[in-house]
Amino acid sequence: MAIPATVREPRTATPSRAKTPRRRPSDARAALAFIAPALLFVALWTYLPAALSFAASFFQIPLAGNTWTFAGLSNYASIIADGDVHQAAWNTVLYCVLSIVPSVALGLGGALLIDAAGRGQGVLSALLFLPLTANLVAMAVVFEWLFAFNGGLANQALGLAGVGPVNFLGEPATALPTVAVVGVWRAASFCMVFFMAGLTTIPASLHEAAAMDGLRGWSKVRRVVLPALRPAVVLATVVATLQTVQIFDAVRVMTDGGPGGASESILTLMWRIGFGYFQLGGAAALSFLLLVVLLVVGVLRRRAVLRGAS
Amino acid sequence: MSPATARVLTRVLRWLLVTIAVVWSALPFYWMLRTSVAPAGEVFFDGISPLPTGVTADNYLRAWTTARLGSAMATGTVVVVAILALQLLTCVPAAYAFAKLRFRGRNLVYGLVLAALLVPVQATAVPTFLVLSRLELVNTLPSLILPFATSAFGIFLIRQFIVTIPDSLLEAARMDGLSQLRILLTIVVPVCRPAILTFALFSVFVHWNDYLWPLLVARDPHLHTPPLALAVFNSTDLQPDYGAYTAAAAVVTMPILVLFLFARRRFVAGLSGGEIVG
Repeated sequence: MAIPATVREPRTATPSRAKTPRRRPSDARAALAFIAPALLFVALWTYLPAALSFAASFFQIPLAGNTWTFAGLSNYASIIADGDVHQAAWNTVLYCVLSIVPSVALGLGGALLIDAAGRGQGVLSALLFLPLTANLVAMAVVFEWLFAFNGGLANQALGLAGVGPVNFLGEPATALPTVAVVGVWRAASFCMVFFMAGLTTIPASLHEAAAMDGLRGWSKVRRVVLPALRPAVVLATVVATLQTVQIFDAVRVMTDGGPGGASESILTLMWRIGFGYFQLGGAAALSFLLLVVLLVVGVLRRRAVLRGAS
Repeated sequence: MSPATARVLTRVLRWLLVTIAVVWSALPFYWMLRTSVAPAGEVFFDGISPLPTGVTADNYLRAWTTARLGSAMATGTVVVVAILALQLLTCVPAAYAFAKLRFRGRNLVYGLVLAALLVPVQATAVPTFLVLSRLELVNTLPSLILPFATSAFGIFLIRQFIVTIPDSLLEAARMDGLSQLRILLTIVVPVCRPAILTFALFSVFVHWNDYLWPLLVARDPHLHTPPLALAVFNSTDLQPDYGAYTAAAAVVTMPILVLFLFARRRFVAGLSGGEIVG
């Protein structure tokens, strides 16, 4: 975009003026051109769908999507009365209970091990960060095989101990915890990232003070490092919660919610209501409720981030 | 217990913990590769043998043809590259405008972009599907790409970097008569290449691995992305063919694993940047 001669700064402008750029009309025009495409897409693919999910939740919508029939609160009424929804919501809470504490604890342990590793630090962190690179569908396929009834590694190991075989993914009691293992495996290395970042923010003076007090090894970890990592613990917990509430890939690949809905999560049920039973209005109502929950968690995350930064 | 024994014990304990941690995080990858190269009849073995008795490519050949992996890898590549190109075209100029140009309502508009970060894709999937269905785009290549044409996270990440460019540098360019577009292309883009690379790794990672969205809009097998093709392959047979399943899983995993090995630090920073800073 050419700058009109009338507003072009003279080449001899004083340095003091250069340091504090004024608002220029040409800037405003350039800015408009620069932000318009991004803004258009944010409006089209974030704000419009968010508003639509609220609007659509009051209509009956066939999969073709072109005739909406007003349905009042009936979508919400049927969602709230639906036993499947209750089970999926309860299962999602169970996934969180089973996943969050192990993910944060294993992530913290991994970060401390890397921190103490000395020369092998690079290799060890590459190995422990491996789960971060995983494609969740691929890993769900692998875990399905690890926990297979016939010939799976887990049952082979149990067989050596004279136990089993256990039908991990086929029994209602074990299906959900088995799927949760994939979530923990992945989320633990995600949490580790925050603890690694937290460890680098511990000031050298704190390390020196600990050395002066003769603190080494585990006592130093307990008295100096862990208190300093408290913001990272909060952040990792919130992130692990966000990831677990949205569990989808592993459930769909490993059990498809079964047996008998025993491992169904909110998102796999939303998919089933919308695209299995073709009730897009009902799916919209469920996703709007999910959006509200996730926004609350998201705001908590922002708080945690801001507190961690200050 | 003498100090020497205590030191030895600590060392043993640490090695034990390190071993457990490495086995925990690497075993699924190892078992995937081990099963994928094992000869037929070797997959179901008696007792645990860490190494297969032979190595074969049969599983990969079977997976490649049955799961249509060639088509899926091609579709996945097109989708990921198109999304990244669109995101860079929309994010970098916007990030520059929010960082360095002065205009009325800048903070308000930037706030609206940042607020979009709080809305997760999963919660807007159904209404986004409705929009695309109204536009008659469902089950087309654009339906896999367009919803991700810009990224609020990308704008945020790149803006954070551009803010650190000294104003005097941009002011000097302006006095030389450069237009804002020239300044953007010749000064801002080269300087903020690290941020662009970090974001690119993040974007490729997220969209190569995405499963929920392709599952909603890609009905036609030609439009299946790698994770979708793998999930379909994994769910078809009555008699599970774990050799071929794990081979397909290895193929789908490999591109991201290679990116990780070549740019580990930036990769980890990209995945965590959104959480750590914003």
